[in-house]
Amino acid sequence: MSELTLLILRLAFLAILWLFVFAVVYALRSDLFGHRLRRQGADMTSPFAGAPVAVAAPPGAAALIDAPTAAVTIPRASDRKEAHRLVITSGPKEGLEIELPSEQLAIGRSSESGLVIRDDYTSTHHARLLLWNDGWVVQDLDSTNGTFLDGTRVTLPTLVPLNTPVTIGTTTFELRR
Amino acid sequence: MPQTSASLKTSLIGWRMPVTSSTKPVPVQTATTATEPRTSLSKTIRVRLRVPARLRNLELALLLVACGIVAFAIVLVQLGALGHVDSTIVTISAGLAVLVLAMHLVMRVVAPQADPLILPIITLLNGVGIAEIYRIDIAYGASGWDSAGIRQIVWTGMAIVIAIAVLILVRNHRVLQRYRYIAMFTGVVLLLLPMLPLIGRTINGARVWIGIGPFSFQPGELAKVALAIFFAGYLVTARDSLSMVGRKFLGMRLPRARDLGPILVVFAASMIVLIFQKDLGTSLLYFGLFLVMLYVATGRASWIVLGLGMFALGALVAYKALTYVNGRVHSWLNAFSATNYNAKGGSYQIVQGIFGLAHGGMLGTGLGRGAPQKTPLATSDFIFSSLGEELGLVGIFAILALYLLFVSRGLRIGFTGQDDFGRLLGVGLAFVVALQVFIVIGGVTRVIPLTGLTTPFLAAGGSSLVANWIIAALLLRLSDAIRSAPPVGMPA
Repeated sequence: MSELTLLILRLAFLAILWLFVFAVVYALRSDLFGHRLRRQGADMTSPFAGAPVAVAAPPGAAALIDAPTAAVTIPRASDRKEAHRLVITSGPKEGLEIELPSEQLAIGRSSESGLVIRDDYTSTHHARLLLWNDGWVVQDLDSTNGTFLDGTRVTLPTLVPLNTPVTIGTTTFELRR
Repeated sequence: MPQTSASLKTSLIGWRMPVTSSTKPVPVQTATTATEPRTSLSKTIRVRLRVPARLRNLELALLLVACGIVAFAIVLVQLGALGHVDSTIVTISAGLAVLVLAMHLVMRVVAPQADPLILPIITLLNGVGIAEIYRIDIAYGASGWDSAGIRQIVWTGMAIVIAIAVLILVRNHRVLQRYRYIAMFTGVVLLLLPMLPLIGRTINGARVWIGIGPFSFQPGELAKVALAIFFAGYLVTARDSLSMVGRKFLGMRLPRARDLGPILVVFAASMIVLIFQKDLGTSLLYFGLFLVMLYVATGRASWIVLGLGMFALGALVAYKALTYVNGRVHSWLNAFSATNYNAKGGSYQIVQGIFGLAHGGMLGTGLGRGAPQKTPLATSDFIFSSLGEELGLVGIFAILALYLLFVSRGLRIGFTGQDDFGRLLGVGLAFVVALQVFIVIGGVTRVIPLTGLTTPFLAAGGSSLVANWIIAALLLRLSDAIRSAPPVGMPA
């Protein structure tokens, strides 16, 4: 084996090493994670899309209207008479008070939620509070362990009166004026 | 199902679930709506089956290239150092290639959506390490079980088998969150194990080894995996109190005094390692890991300032009080002074390493043509300067680029994760590898004082290999969870 062959081989080795690095970078270029669908963002723009509306409607198939209810007038935050604050009365975040947003509040384990509750009983997207005709309505999003309004499990969107405990997992909160 | 393959493809790209899937299948009430999500579920399954194993095919191609480069490296070592090709080591290494391909096949079944770049990168790093260790064995004339190269190959085999086991056993990373306190306990026990009287061993001044019979093991390496799991699990639950409350001061929100508990505990643990086990690197590694995970979890710069302040204070005290830390700092600052060079435990080793790097120059002496064996611990702590001598600046930059790619994949997995535990764990595992690379290579190249840590994947040392392959397996599991998870917004 002559010196020249060795020299060529070792330069070839360095070149191949770098080619491998560039091959990896090239594979990275087309982002391998693909694009993630921003479903959450779509939800925010039309908070009522796909939600079983009609609190007053009779339970059953008629309650599940998935047409967007754009005609619903959402009252301004300033002139409403209902609750303004959400106060956590028991649970790990006891004492926490948050201002209710103008339209809806997502509750769940996901960090995109407006109220993040992390315990073993909470689902990623557990429930949401919707403002509906001057009143806040709690809707359970098919959570595993359920949402309880004053001790009874919520199956349909239900109006939340003031100062009534709503329980999700180990957390209980009330809506206050 | 009436769908054509074209419409299935569009649903694959967009992951667009029908609107009805967000309306609940209200259990008893309606039969008609309850079937709606079911059709979409079966659609999802069909779509998943139709995903071609594009990622795995890419991985296979890169793996074959990586194995080829490793074989090339071993042949070059033999040509350079022996002058002829000896097929035994190549054959034994081919066994490792078979194991790596077995891991690839296992991933096709249990983690089909995992990141395709991690396995080829670590295969190449590990293989280049084996080639260099084997080269130093030739220089020492070691053979059989005395040679570090053979032991490294056996350890690599064990590490790959353990990584495969992790991939098969941990099917969902969130399970790990449940065992966070067990992980903490395991981590602390592993850290303290070398201080036990019977099995603890002091090698080269550091009491970080345990020995059972002829086997010696560095349990602290495994502790870093356990502690990363614990930190991630703990910070997910505790970060609200660590991030939201506190007074503002100088534009930073300072934590309350009673929230300082965890950081003080970790600080104390790393100081115990520093003082009683005389291991600067491990102590720096764990404290740095905790600090970064705390910062990522809370997003508060005050933790970094606080932690670095505490560490600077601790380092200053250690420099004044501990002779071995003092010696390390002196042989770092004045490496080339004759007194340091000739002193026992002085700067001889680090200066030899730098001479080696200088000897290598830009293109290196060529594998098997340098003299890396002149540096003490050339196969473990100083593997980087050994490689630098034989591959040159061009070669070690390629190796650094491989580390960079590995860490960037890990951080990317951390960022794209969908649950907070997975995100934190991904960032923590990637960062612990990055920090370890920085501490070791910074020490060898005199950027920071030399500390005793192993270069991940490259250096001789079974415990380090096992720990790093477990880290890789966990990152693969996390990345699989990201891509096969339902999109954001699906009810859990």
